[in-house]
Amino acid sequence: MQVKIIIGTIAFMLTMIILGFAAIREPGRLEDFTLAREGRQIETGARLYHNQCATCHGVNGKAEECYDAATGESIGCQGLPLNYNQLLCGDTSARMSALNWEGSKLAFIQATVSSGRYGTAMPTWAQEYGGPLRTDEISDIVQFVLNWETEELCSQPLFEYPWPETIDELLVTFPTGDAVRGEELYTTYGCSGCHGNLDDSTSATVGPWQGNLAEEAGTRVEGMSGAQYVYESILHPNNYVVEQCPNGPCGDSSSMPTNFPARMGDSETKPQDLVDIMTYLGLLP
Amino acid sequence: MATFVDQVKEMGLKQAAIAKADEAVERITAGMNISDIRSALRGDEPRRPNPRLRPHADSFWLHIRPSFYHTEVTHIYPTFRMGWLSTFMFVWETITGIILMIFYTPSPLVAYSNMWNILSNVPLGQLIRNMHRLGAEVMVMVVAMHMLRTFITGSYKKPRQFTWATGMILLVLTLMLSFSGYLLPWDQLAYWALTVFISGAEAAPAPAIINQNILLILQGAPSLGAGGLLRWYLLHVLLMPLMLGIFFFVHYYKVVLHGLSLPPGREEIGEDTAKRVPKNERTYFIPDILTSELMWSALMVLFLVAGSLWLWDAPLETHADPVVTPLHVVAPWYLSWSQGWLKLADKTLVVGFIPALLVAFIVMPYFEVGKSRRYVDRRVGLSVAFLFMAFMLVSNWMGTPEYAVASSPDREVSIEFLPEQGPSLMKAVPYDEMLVGKFLPGQEISGNPHMTEALAELKEAVLANSCTMGAPRIVTIPEDEWRECRVVTLDDGSKRYDLAFKEDVMPDPYVELIIEEIQPGLKSLQLVFNVTEPGNPDVLRIDTQDWKTFIHADSNYEEECRFANKSC
Repeated sequence: MQVKIIIGTIAFMLTMIILGFAAIREPGRLEDFTLAREGRQIETGARLYHNQCATCHGVNGKAEECYDAATGESIGCQGLPLNYNQLLCGDTSARMSALNWEGSKLAFIQATVSSGRYGTAMPTWAQEYGGPLRTDEISDIVQFVLNWETEELCSQPLFEYPWPETIDELLVTFPTGDAVRGEELYTTYGCSGCHGNLDDSTSATVGPWQGNLAEEAGTRVEGMSGAQYVYESILHPNNYVVEQCPNGPCGDSSSMPTNFPARMGDSETKPQDLVDIMTYLGLLP
Repeated sequence: MATFVDQVKEMGLKQAAIAKADEAVERITAGMNISDIRSALRGDEPRRPNPRLRPHADSFWLHIRPSFYHTEVTHIYPTFRMGWLSTFMFVWETITGIILMIFYTPSPLVAYSNMWNILSNVPLGQLIRNMHRLGAEVMVMVVAMHMLRTFITGSYKKPRQFTWATGMILLVLTLMLSFSGYLLPWDQLAYWALTVFISGAEAAPAPAIINQNILLILQGAPSLGAGGLLRWYLLHVLLMPLMLGIFFFVHYYKVVLHGLSLPPGREEIGEDTAKRVPKNERTYFIPDILTSELMWSALMVLFLVAGSLWLWDAPLETHADPVVTPLHVVAPWYLSWSQGWLKLADKTLVVGFIPALLVAFIVMPYFEVGKSRRYVDRRVGLSVAFLFMAFMLVSNWMGTPEYAVASSPDREVSIEFLPEQGPSLMKAVPYDEMLVGKFLPGQEISGNPHMTEALAELKEAVLANSCTMGAPRIVTIPEDEWRECRVVTLDDGSKRYDLAFKEDVMPDPYVELIIEEIQPGLKSLQLVFNVTEPGNPDVLRIDTQDWKTFIHADSNYEEECRFANKSC
């Protein structure tokens, strides 16, 4: 019987030593698993992003390199850039302040993915709003998007181009436009998502069709040239709002995103994009 | 009775305190004072009247335990302690289960993140979860072995038929307890194992309306969801343990009532002497059985704690996804035999056969009434039992993915090298050593043993799923390692390329692994397969690059590889 007592006591003491060993390494293990959880969320987010989001936001999140999900053909990117310092950098990023978002960055992205952005090509993704994704999948995608935030990305200065009052002043710096590039940018910036294609007047869904803009624009505001009218409308959508939109009266405030001054002005040379698009629209020679 | 103050006056403080302590101990043990306990532990003869019998008469905890056993049944043989071990495991599962319940909510919205919370935020949470999981598997094994032992020693025979019947019910309850816990983590493994398994209800040999309603009750909805999870949770933590507790007490009451049966050779044929124990063959519960049980408890705790820490890891896959079916859905190993049976026979037949077999087992002792328990007289019965065991082992193997219907050869390579779930050699390569670039199977990368080892595994997987028509296209695999193709012409005129033991493999494939860094700390691993029709490079048999896995620097698949039950 003494043998049983000795064996039992030794086993008990060994168990205590093992538990002590486990307890000592526990804080490190908990930390590893916390990181592993985030890591695996990002992995799942990456898979979902490439299946669902890359079609519009681009393979690398820069709203470049978009491919049709069914055919694999290269198409214009409908979405905004996500791998982008204006979205990701700072506790309150540039895009959050542009939209008067007062919550956290995580909640901003989570809310946008979940409920979509009304009036744009961005649909609702959460199942509770009729989309295809579960809550956990959306937080995985959010973790993936937030993972683009790096020191390198955020060390790029948030350049704000000093937009001149009139288009003529801008044309002093950017005298010529390229209509072919403009056509591509018209899709890349997401214009076609709301305003449709120039050759089909029924393709506009949210904003007015632009196929006849070259003739129309000059008549909208008395005493203002068409080019100046469009220039102001892109940079400050609420300055002038037309009455009729494809889906009914447009209302008092414009559905047009107000972040084009930022998107088209985040570097010294970027305003060329605006000039190219306006050339494509037939407003500039 | 003198008060403590009087005692102090009479005997002095020290003696009075000792007397008081003695009295307290005697009350707690319901009959044994300090010197009785010491003498019992020393192994001395008890004084008269024997104080070691009083706890059996007066205390609650020991009243159900017999005060002595026949010495013959206290050795390892014939019981192997299996019945006691089963009870121990039930207590163990209850304790670890209650701890886990604190951190768990049975809702699909949070169940899976609860699991990660247990792993990443609860001190010793991973250990507790592993202990519960390992304990569940050990319990199934112990209960099954207990039944086997009972059969082999013939202990199910008269008068213990009813004990056997309750034991069968306890075995089923143990399996169902173990299986009902399977769904709770709400990961892919849980969701699909359960979905596939309970879909068997639909095939039961009964009118469709009954089957469909049983399935509906089991799932809580047309497919598993919030309702189903809650139902299986309640089964797991409430109904099953309650039933098991009730049947345990019936079972144990019968065990004590009839006594533990002696080894078959010890008594005359047809006799049952378990309850007539001569004085000189008695082993008393206090102290011998009690110390023995404490020792085994300590050893079991040691094994379960150490095993959960180093040997056995409870898996956690990605979040349950009702629309994505994993490539290989597997039942837990203790139910694998039923998946094996499904490959042998029609589903309705199998689903009908299992309850029939169960009933047959339960009533078996009432029909198998041979008087002798001796092995020599039970050749037929024991042979049938061993054949049945062999059949179960083979069925179990047939239920594993190794015996599964293979999908396309490129998928087989992909899933072995970069499985959707769990670790693999490649996924466990440390992030910094996972080089960006294009790699070939079997390629050696100097100074990078992990990548080299993983690519060697890719080579093995490719070789196991391909053959050569004499023009191997992967330069890093030596020509003599390829096996010749066996060309089979199918009815429609197309050709199939086989290996000796494998149908449909890739003739002279080109396989490439592309690793890119797509985000800070995130790499994508993509497998590219290109197989052309031999002799006609313009016709593609396989051209795919859609197997893409993402690996994050912190994902820590290496950690999982520490455990013996993970394949990497």
